[in-house]
Amino acid sequence: MPRNEEVAFLQVECDDMTPVAPARIGTPEERAALPPLRVLADIGLLAQRNLRKSIRMPMFIVFSTIQPFMQLALFVFVFGSVATVGGDISYEQYVVPAVLIQTMTFAGMGSGIGIARDLDTGMIDRFRSLPIARSAFLVGRTSSDSLRLGIQAILLVIASMVMGFRFTTGLGPALAMVVVVVLFGLALTTFSAWMGLTVRDPETVQAAMFIPMLPLVFTSSAFAPISELPEWMQPFARWSPVTAAIDTARGLALGDEVLYQVNQIHLSEAFLHFVIWWLVIVVVFTAMAVRKYRLG
Amino acid sequence: MTGGVLAEGLSKRFDEFDALIGVDFAVPEGALVAMLGPNGAGKTTTIRILTTLLRADAGHATVAGYDVAKQPQLVRGAIGVTGQYAAVDEDLTGRENLVLVGRLCRMKKKAAQERAAALLEVFELTDAADRRLRTYSGGMRRRLDLGGSLMFAPEVLFLDEPTTGLDPRSRLDLWDVIVELKEAGTTIVLTTQYLEEADQLADTISVIDNGRIIEEGTADQLKDRIGGDVIDLRVHDREQLDEAVASLIREFKAAEADVAVDRDLGSVVVPVGGDGGGSAALVTAVRSLDAAGIRIDDLSLRRPSLDDVFLHLTGHAAEARVGAKKRRGRIPTSGVR
Repeated sequence: MPRNEEVAFLQVECDDMTPVAPARIGTPEERAALPPLRVLADIGLLAQRNLRKSIRMPMFIVFSTIQPFMQLALFVFVFGSVATVGGDISYEQYVVPAVLIQTMTFAGMGSGIGIARDLDTGMIDRFRSLPIARSAFLVGRTSSDSLRLGIQAILLVIASMVMGFRFTTGLGPALAMVVVVVLFGLALTTFSAWMGLTVRDPETVQAAMFIPMLPLVFTSSAFAPISELPEWMQPFARWSPVTAAIDTARGLALGDEVLYQVNQIHLSEAFLHFVIWWLVIVVVFTAMAVRKYRLG
Repeated sequence: MTGGVLAEGLSKRFDEFDALIGVDFAVPEGALVAMLGPNGAGKTTTIRILTTLLRADAGHATVAGYDVAKQPQLVRGAIGVTGQYAAVDEDLTGRENLVLVGRLCRMKKKAAQERAAALLEVFELTDAADRRLRTYSGGMRRRLDLGGSLMFAPEVLFLDEPTTGLDPRSRLDLWDVIVELKEAGTTIVLTTQYLEEADQLADTISVIDNGRIIEEGTADQLKDRIGGDVIDLRVHDREQLDEAVASLIREFKAAEADVAVDRDLGSVVVPVGGDGGGSAALVTAVRSLDAAGIRIDDLSLRRPSLDDVFLHLTGHAAEARVGAKKRRGRIPTSGVR
């Protein structure tokens, strides 16, 4: 981290004093000052803490990665042979971007669970009583979770390619697709964070998140083109944030033409929906989560 | 800048429940004031307001000279907080927990590591420093938690029932540390439901009950308020307890609310007032009980304890003898989970 005068750190001078209560380490003013670089450093420290915690639960990482792999395999090998979609693409090509987005949806729940656990153990009270930036806790959480989601997304893309999925658009759009997938996951971590701070109990958070998430994923273009869904469901599916994200990912992975053939929407339009939804979700839930965090 | 803690008229309402009703509370710089009260009296609510974790509905408070409502960030820069439940990270080691807190308080990595090592040594956690907290006992977690709140040697330290649930040895160890901190000039607010703890550690005691401060003073001043000594006796046959109580109330003209009766032990504590006092009261008690044909196992005359004071003030005991505490978080009181 770059250092300048603003980030003067506190020094301990306790050699000749009792170690319990040494000469003061800085003044309250010095400890409470919040130059921008310090806010960034606090976010980094808290994100690092979360990552360290995840790494220490290796089994959790293994299982949470295996589960979407199995889902991917199920859709590719079981449904891939029976289901068809319009246009010139196989069901496998159609469904891989959807499985990626769905994985983000459920992996994003981890944020809320982690936050509820921090509430439960009193860690949030500890952080709230320290002179750190109010935003650092939540931003630290969404940063470390986005990194976790990014790794998971990349592993899934590799696995899907092993199973036969192909990008038809080139490296640039393929990378852009991964970015869109992770951004969608990031938006959901803000929702998840708010849920965690509201529901406050780790087990309940998980159960409560499924209730809006499951129908949202299935009432979308995820597993079948919208025109194949029951008529009453179609308006919901057409305007769903999940559809916006999945179709944007599809357009980037398979090209605008293919996307239009199967779902009658252009990439530019899907992307616009995605951007609007993304901003709405991130702004609304971040504001609500920050409010909850401040009020305790 | 005036240090210490000053609270005026703090009020807080949760839904239909008045948690605090106009609490006034003052801790001079460098003093240790104990807030004594039973569960649900408002101790934790007061601490949460003073440590910026909760906003008061009414009233005003300063900590280390900073306004808790208007300058919360500066208050946070001046305080250390140790709550009723150890707020430590299970998945990190003891050392990592302390270093994280230090670095979040703007200490350089090396300085934070040195300070953490020194505190681990003080709290006898050096051997366990690099183990994850899952293997820590309840007492070890509490010590580490206190270590965390001492990382930057705060001006004002809040200890919210720091010894609740600790075994007697750990409690004594913690008392030593508290005394040391006080001697080094740290202003300390201690909440406790243990009378002995307040008696031992505090310069002055504020008795809180049902959201109100009902009495303040040194332990001796509070004891003097009962006026004179108390007789503490145990009847041989518990069936005769009520009879004994009635007889003593008659004899010493004591208010019924001031008489403490423990049915399990068959014991009763009666204030005997100033006049006649001492040995005369003993004789009177023995005579009247003897006349009523009540056998006594044990009889003593003593200064009132804080327990008696509490009963005198509130009409109920301070220490919850039965029933579990309301749980607000995990209470790691056992060892390995």
